[in-house]
Amino acid sequence: MKKVLMTSLMALGLFAAQAFAGDTVKIAITGPFSGGSAPMGISMRNGAMLAVSEINAAGGIDVGGHRMKIQVIERDDEGKNARGALVAQELASMSGLSGVIGTVNTGVVLAGDRYLQQKGITKIITPAAGSASMTQWSKAGVKNLSIFRFSADDSIQAAMVVEEAIDRKLTKVAIFHDTTNYGVSGNEDLLQQIKKQGNKLKVVTTEKFNIGDKDMTAQLLRAKLAGAQAILIWGIGPEMAAVANGMAAMGMKLPLIGGWTISMSNFINNAGKNGNGALTPQSFIEEPITPMAKRFINEYHKTYHVSRIPSPMSAAEGYDAVYVFAAAVKQAKSTDTHKIKEALEDLRAPVKGVIATWRHPYSKWNPANERTHEAFHRDQVVMGMVKDGRIVFAHESDKQRLIKEALGKNAK
Amino acid sequence: MYALIVTQMVVSGVLMGLIYALIAYGFQLTYATSKSINFGQGELVMVSAFFSLTLLNVGVPYWLMVPGGMLFGALLGLVVERTGVRLALEQKSEGWILMTIILGLFAFSVAENIWGRDDRPFPTPISSSPIQIFGIHITPVEISVAVGVFALMGMIELFKRKTLLGKAFEAVSADRDAAELMGISATRTIMLSYGLSGVVAALAGILIAPITTVGPTMASALILKAFSVAVVAGLDSGFGVVVIGMLLGALESLTSFYLGSGWREAPGLILLILALAMRPMGVFGKASIRKV
Repeated sequence: MKKVLMTSLMALGLFAAQAFAGDTVKIAITGPFSGGSAPMGISMRNGAMLAVSEINAAGGIDVGGHRMKIQVIERDDEGKNARGALVAQELASMSGLSGVIGTVNTGVVLAGDRYLQQKGITKIITPAAGSASMTQWSKAGVKNLSIFRFSADDSIQAAMVVEEAIDRKLTKVAIFHDTTNYGVSGNEDLLQQIKKQGNKLKVVTTEKFNIGDKDMTAQLLRAKLAGAQAILIWGIGPEMAAVANGMAAMGMKLPLIGGWTISMSNFINNAGKNGNGALTPQSFIEEPITPMAKRFINEYHKTYHVSRIPSPMSAAEGYDAVYVFAAAVKQAKSTDTHKIKEALEDLRAPVKGVIATWRHPYSKWNPANERTHEAFHRDQVVMGMVKDGRIVFAHESDKQRLIKEALGKNAK
Repeated sequence: MYALIVTQMVVSGVLMGLIYALIAYGFQLTYATSKSINFGQGELVMVSAFFSLTLLNVGVPYWLMVPGGMLFGALLGLVVERTGVRLALEQKSEGWILMTIILGLFAFSVAENIWGRDDRPFPTPISSSPIQIFGIHITPVEISVAVGVFALMGMIELFKRKTLLGKAFEAVSADRDAAELMGISATRTIMLSYGLSGVVAALAGILIAPITTVGPTMASALILKAFSVAVVAGLDSGFGVVVIGMLLGALESLTSFYLGSGWREAPGLILLILALAMRPMGVFGKASIRKV
């Protein structure tokens, strides 16, 4: 009798545990929600949470005929590598976790992702853009990778920066970069792209600066003396603002073309009117040009009580990444992170996002080509320009193209 | 063209050097009366700048904010003296070194918690678009730095020479025991010197903030340079810090122009080592004989 009771209790317990695990899809969102990178981390999280609440409000994800809501676990990595490694270790050992979305800083990606990869936990990196986040796996020759990226990465951005300079019929440029991983690899990406696009640009000087530098006079004057016609720059907000301000103080008027970090609020605010005209590749511009974009921007403003998204690109990428992940869960018909990974590598249904409609964003990982796990192509990124405290479209043609694409889809 | 660019480098270096000089002057003021200095002076610069920014944000006009910020700096200076320095001096201990460092660290965390870690722009009615003088670009904001530094240092020097209180200040600096025998309160004079040192730090913050932006780490690089300047010039020459400050600023600019910005910190260190090896009392310092 006792035995029967025991087994039935155990069965009940097992059933209860399964019912609990079966109720929700558990995903973790990580990023810097405090510290210097917080504008990007918070925007990404808020964008992702918008998508989560939309999905949950519609009843959740259809997992093999069973509706399941998304449960979010948030972790703040503070933009610090060591903290990011701890967060990744914690998530790697968490039971029943379906996947991880997030991370802003390339250094944090490099410090943490290997713990997730070891356990085969599916992660979508967004919006960290540094090339090393994915090339670390191709260089190591990893055969089976559970890490994906959903961001306009540096190689696309560098290509666009170089393209922009060539389109403007410039021939002599100065490269400015900071001495962090991000800046140094950005410099390499730029040089590679200049070569790839036919060596039409001559780099007359390469100037470095450190995090915290405020005085860029020496670097700027050397660029002036070398006859540079534009400055291609890879760094983060405050130092790039110092470059823009330094140029203004010396009456230099060279175009400043740089990575997406020019859209950081600490560049826009610190450079003020001196930042006007700076060009930066963006995956999303906060202009309600399509119905989808309009709805997203309004929802963001309303939900988080702001009149401007601190980092529109991070918010949009976070939003779309959640939809892509949800589509993979649906296709996998499972909350098992390994099955979700397989589904992501062969996502059949198109996913309608605010940046684009994602058709088969990833394919089976090939260590010889990290683009197999990169979602973005050149087409999904546009050139943005700083104008009076906002980022606007630099080229009207990009704007018209996006409007046309959205209309085309609606017509279908 | 080339000569022009080099001159431009020297000019912008000299202007930066004046800020080093002003902060170094703050070190001198307290050293003169009490033979102690505030190792948290950089945080004093930063907190005063943040406070002034807050004044601007709540709508205080710029020209009222400047004295307001300086008054706040004076108060902070007095707090440092009362909490970090006085007790140690009374006990003839060197405890003020650690105490002022701790107060600085404390101020840093407080600032991070109140104002956040981000650098913020500091609005100013003074124009920051450049004007050309003999082909050299210089902005009115940069000129205001020079004017502010000389005006404040000139006023304090005049005060020390022409007023009764200032003479007491000089007397305590010259010989504390003798001054006390003459009825001058050394404690009060030391308080005064810390207050003045706070005023100087606050003005340095207000002057430099429009150029460098305001953030918790805004003064951490400045303070090391200022310390080098104070030590190289000698801890008792106001004229000395101006000369050495401008020299260091110009050298830094030229080094980063010729050798690359990574070498920027080198001249300060080389000057410091040379001075300590050859003239430990400072280039403009007076050798003092210490009776044992």
